[in-house]
Amino acid sequence: MIVRILTEGQYRLPGSFIDQLNEIDNKIVGVVEQENEAEFRKLLSEMLDLVRNNSNEVGMDELVESDIVLPEPDITLIEAEELFTGEGIVPD
Amino acid sequence: MGILARTSTLMRAKMNRLLDRAENPSETLDVAYDKQIEMLRNVKRGVVEMVSTKRRLQLQAGKVQDNISKLDVQARKAMGMGREDMARLALERKQHANTELQDLDQQISGLELEQEKLTKAEQRLQAKVQAFRTKKEIIKAQYKAAQAQVRIGSALSGISEEMGDITLSVERAEDKTEALRAKSGAIDELAEAGVLNLEIDGKDDISRELDKLSANSEVESELAALKASASEKKSLPEGQS
Repeated sequence: MIVRILTEGQYRLPGSFIDQLNEIDNKIVGVVEQENEAEFRKLLSEMLDLVRNNSNEVGMDELVESDIVLPEPDITLIEAEELFTGEGIVPD
Repeated sequence: MGILARTSTLMRAKMNRLLDRAENPSETLDVAYDKQIEMLRNVKRGVVEMVSTKRRLQLQAGKVQDNISKLDVQARKAMGMGREDMARLALERKQHANTELQDLDQQISGLELEQEKLTKAEQRLQAKVQAFRTKKEIIKAQYKAAQAQVRIGSALSGISEEMGDITLSVERAEDKTEALRAKSGAIDELAEAGVLNLEIDGKDDISRELDKLSANSEVESELAALKASASEKKSLPEGQS
């Protein structure tokens, strides 16, 4: 599957990693609710590294749509909260 | 819904805003291409702005560094004249300038990192835009074939996603550059107001005080010399006064 890390690029990740991604994703929901910044950073980089370390980068001249989109590496806890409350999704 | 689903939704929303399909598929492709070129220009401009903000911060860091050396000299000079209070003032300012310098250095390296990221994004977009241009001509040539619609779909959504992502990168870079530019402007203002102990009329208050002190000490020493010669006269044999 094609995975995009926002502001970073696209990766080709074997589909078998989806469960691991979802598992971290669920934990992230919890720490964002608890506003636990340290744990949020830890889980986010765990998630991004899982993708980076087990995939190949999509070629620069390839035009493919992603199946999954991961947040940008420097997303703040506050921005993540906004994402969850829906403020981030409303189009300008 | 987890963060993955939220981020994907956000991305789709951005993409849909970029993708306005025209009636005519070849027109859709051309319009999309124009947008890509415009975006590429925006990204390049973003990089240029970052570089100029960085230069400005580097210039300020240089000034603060000069200040630190100057305050150091002043502190020694004041101490040599036995003015501990003045030396303390100079050292306090030096301390403040040091903090300022560290802050500036940190911002400069942060900006460098951001610039590197945006440059990479620019290269990626450049390659994708080029690929899109080739693809769009092929699709246009094959327009009558049944597959054309499908091909337009995947090429367009692929490039639109890239553009959506670049938009985000540019927005973030702009926010950061803007914040630093504002900070840099604030430093300039403080410098003008003399708060950051930069020179006013070529001299700051410590320098003026030190000048006054050394002028005073010259007066004192001349005075002492006068006194000495006067008392010498006094000690000459009496009966002449």
